[in-house]
Amino acid sequence: MPSTDHSAAPPALAMHGLIKDFGGVRALDGAEFEVGPGEIHGLVGQNGAGKSTLIKVLAGIYRPDEGRIAIDGQPVTDLTPHQVDQLGIQFIHQDRLLVPSFTVGEAVFLGREHTAAGLLARRRMEREARALITEQFGVELPKGALISELTTAQQQLVQIVRALAQKPRILVFDEPTAALVKREVDRLFAIIERLRGQGITIVYISHYLQEIERLCDRVTVLRNGRHVGTVSPAATPAREIARMMVARDLGELFPKRQVAPGAPALAVRNLARRPHLQEVSFTLRRGEILGVTGLLGSGVKELVRLLFGLDRPDAGQIEFGGQVATLGNPAAAVARGMALVPEDRRGQGVALDASVRDNTTLASLDRFVRGGLVRRAEEDGETRRLIEELRIRTPGPDTAVRDLSGGNQQKVVIAKWLARRSEVYLLDEPTVGVDIAAKVEIYRLIGELVERGAAVLLVSSDLDELAGIADRILVLYRGAVVRELPAENASSDALLAWSTGAMEAA
Amino acid sequence: MSTVIEQAGGERADLRRLGALALRAGSLLAFVAVLVFFSATAPFFLSFFNFTNVIAQSAILAILAFGMTVVIIGGGGNVVTGGIDLSVAANLGLCAAVYAALIQAGQGDATAILTTMATGLAVGAANAFAVVAVGILPLLATLAVMNVAAGLELVLTENTVLSASTPFLMAINNVGPFGVPNLAWILLVVAVVLILLVQFTPVGLRLQAVGEHREAARAAGLPVARYVAATYLVSGLFAALGAILSVAYLSGSSTGSAELLLGVVVTALLGVVFSRRLVPTIGGTLLAALFIGFLGNGFQLLNISSYWVSGVQGALILLVVAATSVLRRKES
Repeated sequence: MPSTDHSAAPPALAMHGLIKDFGGVRALDGAEFEVGPGEIHGLVGQNGAGKSTLIKVLAGIYRPDEGRIAIDGQPVTDLTPHQVDQLGIQFIHQDRLLVPSFTVGEAVFLGREHTAAGLLARRRMEREARALITEQFGVELPKGALISELTTAQQQLVQIVRALAQKPRILVFDEPTAALVKREVDRLFAIIERLRGQGITIVYISHYLQEIERLCDRVTVLRNGRHVGTVSPAATPAREIARMMVARDLGELFPKRQVAPGAPALAVRNLARRPHLQEVSFTLRRGEILGVTGLLGSGVKELVRLLFGLDRPDAGQIEFGGQVATLGNPAAAVARGMALVPEDRRGQGVALDASVRDNTTLASLDRFVRGGLVRRAEEDGETRRLIEELRIRTPGPDTAVRDLSGGNQQKVVIAKWLARRSEVYLLDEPTVGVDIAAKVEIYRLIGELVERGAAVLLVSSDLDELAGIADRILVLYRGAVVRELPAENASSDALLAWSTGAMEAA
Repeated sequence: MSTVIEQAGGERADLRRLGALALRAGSLLAFVAVLVFFSATAPFFLSFFNFTNVIAQSAILAILAFGMTVVIIGGGGNVVTGGIDLSVAANLGLCAAVYAALIQAGQGDATAILTTMATGLAVGAANAFAVVAVGILPLLATLAVMNVAAGLELVLTENTVLSASTPFLMAINNVGPFGVPNLAWILLVVAVVLILLVQFTPVGLRLQAVGEHREAARAAGLPVARYVAATYLVSGLFAALGAILSVAYLSGSSTGSAELLLGVVVTALLGVVFSRRLVPTIGGTLLAALFIGFLGNGFQLLNISSYWVSGVQGALILLVVAATSVLRRKES
C-alpha cells in the first residue's frame, strides 16, 4: 500500500540544504532528503557519502551548521534526542542499542517504564513487550531471557518493538540486515511492509541495492554529502543507482597493471600448522599480485599469521629472495622486507591517536635517528613526500590518524612500509570498510607497488576485487590449496565455487 | 542456518547462566558455611547480642559501600574506566571532623548535621564536576579529590581526635526496639529505601542502563551526564551519613578513616556475586558487608589475629574478580 501521491500531503520528513563540517571535512554539503508520508524510502550512498551524518542530524545527535528540517510540513529547529522522540521519530540502530543484562520488558520500556505506586511494574512490562512481539512478528522469545542471551535477530525484534511501543510516525532502519541471515532478512522485510500498511513512514538505509529494489517505494542517493537524485527503484535498474552512487563506471574500478614478473621474492614450501593449515606451497615473484582467498576455516588467516611470523609452523619453510627465513619471528620478517597490512586496521594497522608522521615512520625510525635523537625535520620530509605520493587526504603530518577516513588510514599503513622500503606486501583484506572511491585509490596503490618491483600477496574475500586486480589466485579450502587460477580464468563465480568446496565434489 | 545460530546462542547463554548461578550459589554457600563454622567453633557467635552487634558494626562500612555501589552502577563495572569513588573514606573522615568540630564549637546537632551533609555533598560535587564536566577518569578524579578531602581533614583536626558527645549521638549508639542496636536499624532502613530506589524504580533502572550501556541509554533519550553526576552526589551524601554514624560510634572524629577505603571497595565488588545477573546491587552489597563483618567477628571470637581479615579480604577480591572476568569472557 505505497502512498501514490506525494504532492498532496506535505512530506513526512523534509531536510533541506544541510551542511555539517567536522574539523575541515565537510560531511554534509547542502544535502536534501524528502520522504513522503507512508512510503518506504531508501537512503543509499557509499561510506562517507553522508548517510550516517544525515541520520545523526535527524536523531538530534549532531547539530547541522546550516539547513532546515520540517516534520509533516512543520519546521523544527535545534533538535534534541528527546524532542525527536516526542515528534514520533524512532530509530532501529545497526548496533542494537540494548542493555545486555536487561529483560525484554525492561529493554523495551526503558525511559518510559510502567509503574505502580512509583515502583516498576516489571511483570506488566514483560507481558506487554512479549505480547507486542507475538502480535507483530508471531514469535515467542525464550522465557525469562536477558538481552545478552538472545540472538542478533531476536535482539533486533526487541529493538523494533521498543520503537513501535512509542507509536512512531517515522521509523528509521539503519543497515538492519547487516548481521542477519537470509531467512531473518525475509522476515524483517515482511515486518517492514506490514508497518507501512499501518501507516508508518519508513526510512531504510542500506548498501545492498537488491534490498532497496525489493523493498523501497523511492530511494535517495547521496554522494559526497550532496543529493544526487531521488528515483523509484521499480523504474530504475540497480546498476543505474550504483552509477549514481559512484559517478564512475564500475569497469574503471580495477585499474589493471601489466608488469612482467621478476625474481622470486617469497617462496613457501610445505608450510603447515595443523589442524588449520595442512601443507601449502607457492612462489610469489616481484612485480606480481598473488591473490589468496578462502572461507572462514580455510586456513587463510592462519597462513597470514605464519608468513608474518606471528605463529610458528609445525613444518615447512619460507624463503625470502632465496634465503631461508627465521620462522615465528615478526621482527625477522620485517627485517627481511615483509610488510603486513592487517585486516584490523584500527587495532593493529595504525596507532589511532598518534599523528600521521609518527605512524608513517614507526617501522623505519632508525633511518631518522642521528646521535640518538629522532630528527623531526627528516621525518616530516619523508611523511610529506608519502602524503603526496599516496594522495593521503590529511590536513598535515601532525593530524591524528583517528581523524582520517578509513581509506586514508589504510594509506598511512602502506606509507609506513614504503618508508621502510619493504618489498613483500602482505595485504589482509585491505579494502574492508573503506568506500568505493578509496578502494579504487588502494587498487591504484597496489598497482604502483608492483610497478616498483614489490611483490604483493593480496588476501581477500572480495572475489570481484581478486578477479579484478590479481595476476593469479590461490583458493584455499580446509587448510589446503585446492586450486590456482590465472586471473583471466577467474570469475568471482568460479572462485566462490572452489572456495565453498562445490568443485571438489564435481 | 539460522536455527543453528539460534541454538548455539542458546547453549552459550545456558552455560553462562549456569556459571552465574554456580558463582552466586557458591558465594551464598560460602557465606552460610562461614556462619555455620563460626557458630560451631566460636563461643557466643550465634547469640542474639553478638549477631545484632555485628550488623551494627557493619553499618558504617555498608553505608559507604552503598554509595560506592551506586557510583559503580551508574558508571559501569569496568574497574579501570568505570565508575568508582575513591574519595568516600576520606570524605567520611572530613565530614566526621566537621561534625565533631562544630559540636566542640558549641553548635547544636541540627547545625552539625546540615553542615556535615553539605560537606559530603560538596566533595561529591567536586567528584561529579571532575568526572562529568571535565571528563577525567573516575579512578583519577576521585583519587585527587580524596587527597583534597584528606588534606582538609588534617587542616581541621591537626591530626588529633576531636571528641564529641551529644544526646543525639548517644541515641544513635543505643539499643533500639526489640533489643536491636539503633545502628542496625538505621542500616536496615537505609538499605530498604535504597533497594527500592535502585532496583524497583524507573530511576534505578535508568541508572543501570546508563552504567551498563551508555549508548543505549543515550538512544533511549536519558540525560546520561546528569545520572552519572548524581551518583557522585549520592556517594558524597552517604559518606556524610556514614560520618555521623562514625562520630556516634567512636564518640568523636577519628584519624584513621582512610583505611576504610579498601574494605569499601572489596564490599562493593564482592556484592556483585550475590546478584542474579552478576551486576552490582544494593542487596548484594549489603550481604557482602555482613559477610565481611561476620568474618572479622568470627576471627575475633576465635582469637585469630585481626590482621588475617585484611588478607582474607584480598583473597576474596581476587576470587570474585577472577570468577566474574571468566564469566564475562565467555559472554563475548
